[in-house]
Amino acid sequence: MVNSRVGTRLLQSLIRPIPRTRLLSTPNLPTPRNASSSSSTPTPQPSSQTRHTSTWRDMAENDITKYLRQTHNRVFEHNKAWAADKKAKDPEFFAKLSAGQNPEYLWIGCSDSRIPAEQITGLEPGDAFVHRNIANLVCNTDLNVMSVIAYAVAHLKVKHIVVCGHYGCGGVKAAMTAKDLGILNPWLRNIRDVYRLHERELDVIADETARYDRLVELNVLEQCRNVIKSASVQQSYAKNKFPIVHGWVFGFHDGLLKDLEIDFEAMLREIQKIYNLTEN
Amino acid sequence: MDPLIPTAYETEDSFLYALSSNAAWAGYKAHQNPKFFPIWLGCSDSRCPETTLLGLQPGDVFVHRNIANLVCATDINTAAVIEYAVAHLRVAHVVLCGHTACGGAIAALGGQRVGGVLDTWLAPLRGLVVGHEAELAELPMDEGGGDGSGSGAGARVRRLVELNVKAGVDVLMANVVVTEAVRERGLQVHGCLFDLASGRVRDLGVGTSAGKGVNGVRGGVVRGKHAELVFRGGGGATMAAR
Repeated sequence: MVNSRVGTRLLQSLIRPIPRTRLLSTPNLPTPRNASSSSSTPTPQPSSQTRHTSTWRDMAENDITKYLRQTHNRVFEHNKAWAADKKAKDPEFFAKLSAGQNPEYLWIGCSDSRIPAEQITGLEPGDAFVHRNIANLVCNTDLNVMSVIAYAVAHLKVKHIVVCGHYGCGGVKAAMTAKDLGILNPWLRNIRDVYRLHERELDVIADETARYDRLVELNVLEQCRNVIKSASVQQSYAKNKFPIVHGWVFGFHDGLLKDLEIDFEAMLREIQKIYNLTEN
Repeated sequence: MDPLIPTAYETEDSFLYALSSNAAWAGYKAHQNPKFFPIWLGCSDSRCPETTLLGLQPGDVFVHRNIANLVCATDINTAAVIEYAVAHLRVAHVVLCGHTACGGAIAALGGQRVGGVLDTWLAPLRGLVVGHEAELAELPMDEGGGDGSGSGAGARVRRLVELNVKAGVDVLMANVVVTEAVRERGLQVHGCLFDLASGRVRDLGVGTSAGKGVNGVRGGVVRGKHAELVFRGGGGATMAAR
């Protein structure tokens, strides 16, 4: 059995080394002041508009302009320091960035604002090709996501494809609600299909939250299967032994990613019994 | 904690790196506020991480990213994202952002078959190439003025990306959910261009700000919890931290 972890080790020689210093450089992270204020302050905001304009409404027009200029300058000071730091560590960083991309990862995640792929993984610009849609679905007839997979695999030659769901997914909840949601119906229907495929397992979970959490995991696994059903993934793997497909779930309660530890090769074999597109 | 985490610092495996780096991030940043602000429609390109380049934080931007930031009226994937963000989350802004040196635009200008499903996806871009053939032909493909298959940093690719953003904004403005939200609660629709070489976002002056410019600070600001993107009249967009 080759699970994803072993498969990953096999790939080590293909993967460019990542400088350890990157773990320490956190330009995308908030300043400690912001972090502590956002985590310690309860957030009973009535709406985005009133919350953010309340302080602005009390300010005179010229004060606002002055404040904006100051804060604006601060960002550019941060940006300057960050750019200098980047350049000191790698003089070619920005030249390489504008010259082209060579990402290791394709990230297929949810549109939910709380899961920006780069920030929760600490990956840098240029590291991950990203597609995000409602409930991280991979549908056979959706040319949008299928084009992303084809481009990432055949042209960018990504080594890993990550399907990342998250607990408490609004899309998954909406899909299981007895309601006509218009144009969302055909999209969310795919989640009801996931439920039907795993009906027996899900029906016996009495706790509603636990049942939804499991549905989120099963949805990720099904979407991983859908990724593997694609011609580009099957053909590239037959030829190159990559990409490897991973299923992850992000938890807001602790901010951690859970690896569902897909046995990629076993899943591929099982899928190719019916969905083989490699012509051999 | 996952037994993988300590070893990830020792190996230089990028998969383990991502997991371990995430663990470090999670230790730093606790639970996020699930409040949504703008919806960002951008390119899947790895060099355009929206939350990072806007200086925003997790919880600030609802996101859809696809090849060449195409908005097609009949694409159910994008339509579902727009419906969810505009009608259900009631975002205040829709930002459609293209970027320079876009691989999709370069492929569309190349005129060759890309293969698989991609040619069908890129068809709207090819339509723009056909419709603006004369104008695009005048512009250089590469920075040096050459016509080779270089980095696509030239004005021709940039112009096609601009045309694509404008076309996408037109599709957005024709979306009934968007139209209703613009009319009923002042939803704003912006089209902009991210310049990879300079890191700057430029407002293309299309969408709800078309023709009238954006006056004042309140009208043209995409606000996040920690920073904001300010659209100004005359095509400028700047960022400010809070």
